Amino acid sequence: MVDFARVQKELQECNRDFEVSGIKVIPKSDANLAHLLGTIPGPLGTPYEGGSFKIDITLPDGYPFEPPKMHFATKVWHPNISSQSGAICLDILKDQWSPALTLKTALLSVQALLSAPEPDDPQDAVVAQQYLRDYPTFMGTARYWTEAFAMTSSLGVEEKVQKLVEMGFPEALVKSTLVSVNGDENMALEKLCSG
Amino acid sequence: MGNQLGGDFLVAGGSERTERESFGICNLGTRYESQDFTWHAVASWTWDAQDETCGICRMAFDGCCPDCKLPGDDCPLIWGACNHAFHLHCILKWVNSQTPQAHCPMCRREWQFKG
Repeated sequence: MVDFARVQKELQECNRDFEVSGIKVIPKSDANLAHLLGTIPGPLGTPYEGGSFKIDITLPDGYPFEPPKMHFATKVWHPNISSQSGAICLDILKDQWSPALTLKTALLSVQALLSAPEPDDPQDAVVAQQYLRDYPTFMGTARYWTEAFAMTSSLGVEEKVQKLVEMGFPEALVKSTLVSVNGDENMALEKLCSG
Repeated sequence: MGNQLGGDFLVAGGSERTERESFGICNLGTRYESQDFTWHAVASWTWDAQDETCGICRMAFDGCCPDCKLPGDDCPLIWGACNHAFHLHCILKWVNSQTPQAHCPMCRREWQFKG
């Protein structure tokens, strides 16, 4: 059974110093504290700077005695994060987990991973190869992905709808999909493409 | 009777005493009413740990772990050889979930109960 009293406390504490850390964790629905959505800002001085990265969090029954399951919901180009699934290769989310860690400290570690890639222990072999063999291209791709997927669009709702309709999706479906992802046009596009 | 009352006043102390004494003098020779004073014994206790909250459940050490209802002897603290303290129930859950060797959640040293 998840220790929800602790989770509740963690959410309060984490969101209290959002101003300083920029790290936010919110429940995906009010009814269930086992599914959460974390947000981390891309570290300054990296190709991820300026991006806002969403991380899908699922708490296993044994939490906090088992690590939280985390994967990137925002597409990101990084040797230790799968460009396909968002899976994260980070020891503290696996065998190095400790119950003294929290969702906030785990997200801080993920943020630190963005600053310090480990291409010799890759999660995504293609990205790691590029990092090792052609660093400038890696930097360019990582930057492009940040701009394309991690930056909140400044477009208004009507413009988002128009953009997606122009891609060939029916207007009614576009509108309902946009609503379901809180207006995030990239997530809407992904959802429309996948089904 | 007067002596007995004085005794009570000494025990109770404070402004009550003055009030009752003057009442006694004014009514010298008349019947004293005796009055029982109620005592409220107050004591406090605290665990002598370096931190205030358990690093595992994040509840106050002076409270209890999530599985217990009453703090104190029923939900004791336990120290490791590394001097980190946890609710006994919390660290037992952690130690039992880690095989073969558990590490201190705070400092990652091999966990040994302090002898």
